[in-house]
Amino acid sequence: MLKIACVIPAWNEEKNIAQVIKNVRPFVDKIIVIDDASKDATSKLAEEAGAYVIRHLINRGQGAALQTGNDYALNLGIDIIVHFDGDNQFLAEEIKDMIAPIIKNEADIVFGSRFLEKKANLPLFKRLIIYPLAQAFTRLILGIKLSDPQNGFRAMTRQTAEKIRIMNREMAHNSEIQTKAFSYKLRVAEVPITVIYHHFGQKLSGGFKIIKDLFIYKLSK
Amino acid sequence: MLPQQIIALLIILIFVIKLFTQKKKEIINQTEFFSWLIFWFIAGLAIIFIKNIDGFLAELGVSASGINFLFYIGVLILFYFIFRLRLIIAKLDRQLTDLTRHVAIKEAEKKYQK
Repeated sequence: MLKIACVIPAWNEEKNIAQVIKNVRPFVDKIIVIDDASKDATSKLAEEAGAYVIRHLINRGQGAALQTGNDYALNLGIDIIVHFDGDNQFLAEEIKDMIAPIIKNEADIVFGSRFLEKKANLPLFKRLIIYPLAQAFTRLILGIKLSDPQNGFRAMTRQTAEKIRIMNREMAHNSEIQTKAFSYKLRVAEVPITVIYHHFGQKLSGGFKIIKDLFIYKLSK
Repeated sequence: MLPQQIIALLIILIFVIKLFTQKKKEIINQTEFFSWLIFWFIAGLAIIFIKNIDGFLAELGVSASGINFLFYIGVLILFYFIFRLRLIIAKLDRQLTDLTRHVAIKEAEKKYQK
């Protein structure tokens, strides 16, 4: 029986974290919450909800938190790792769709996509400006042919998590994981997912920051 | 020698004295000490022989005066140092993340072994 863990990076998510853990619990064996130095009760609530809580002493960003979660999941002997957001914007029941290609041994890594069959209530500015720009950048510059360049819902095998080490500690980790998945010639699958927006999320300036972070990471390697 | 040249040389002398003090207190290592010493030595020579630089630039057909030329070179060097610093900061930032992760995982292992 394959052991599945859900890795949830969280920063000041006291409003959502307990509900997210409750929603995710039926679909995975272990839940690992990485509290990225929250100033609120995120750790306490996540622990009470029954998750493993790993706490960063200082805020290091979502990419860093995901790598911490991957490392801990690997230590626990997990077979499939699912990355899931702590702000309740993904649907927990879609975890089974995300891990299905891995269980069937058809993929090493599965990316969620808002642009396949299912519809996300994407804000207009994002749909018309930010995402086409991000998609053009990832296709032309990074050579990634995926429908959704910035999606935090993904699943991977243990072997994939061992190969892909997330070095970009902030939001550029999305592009980094996708680039590495293709450059390591892993079997990549995309699965349609639903995203419920509670707030606007990434701004245009955030997109430029991602490009800058990727550039600095390339130069400082 | 022009008064401006004397002032510039005095400023360089202050930096060189500071450099020797830092070396004595072991704030900087041997390599850094010699790199900066060579840098200030070249800067001193450029100021002493500023007229020769003027002549050399005129021969090359460059319209800028020697002092302007040194200024442009100085700006380029500064940009290079900023770029190097940015890369060093990026490396330190990654090490800080590794350290934070190491401490977090160790703490979690201790907590959940109980």
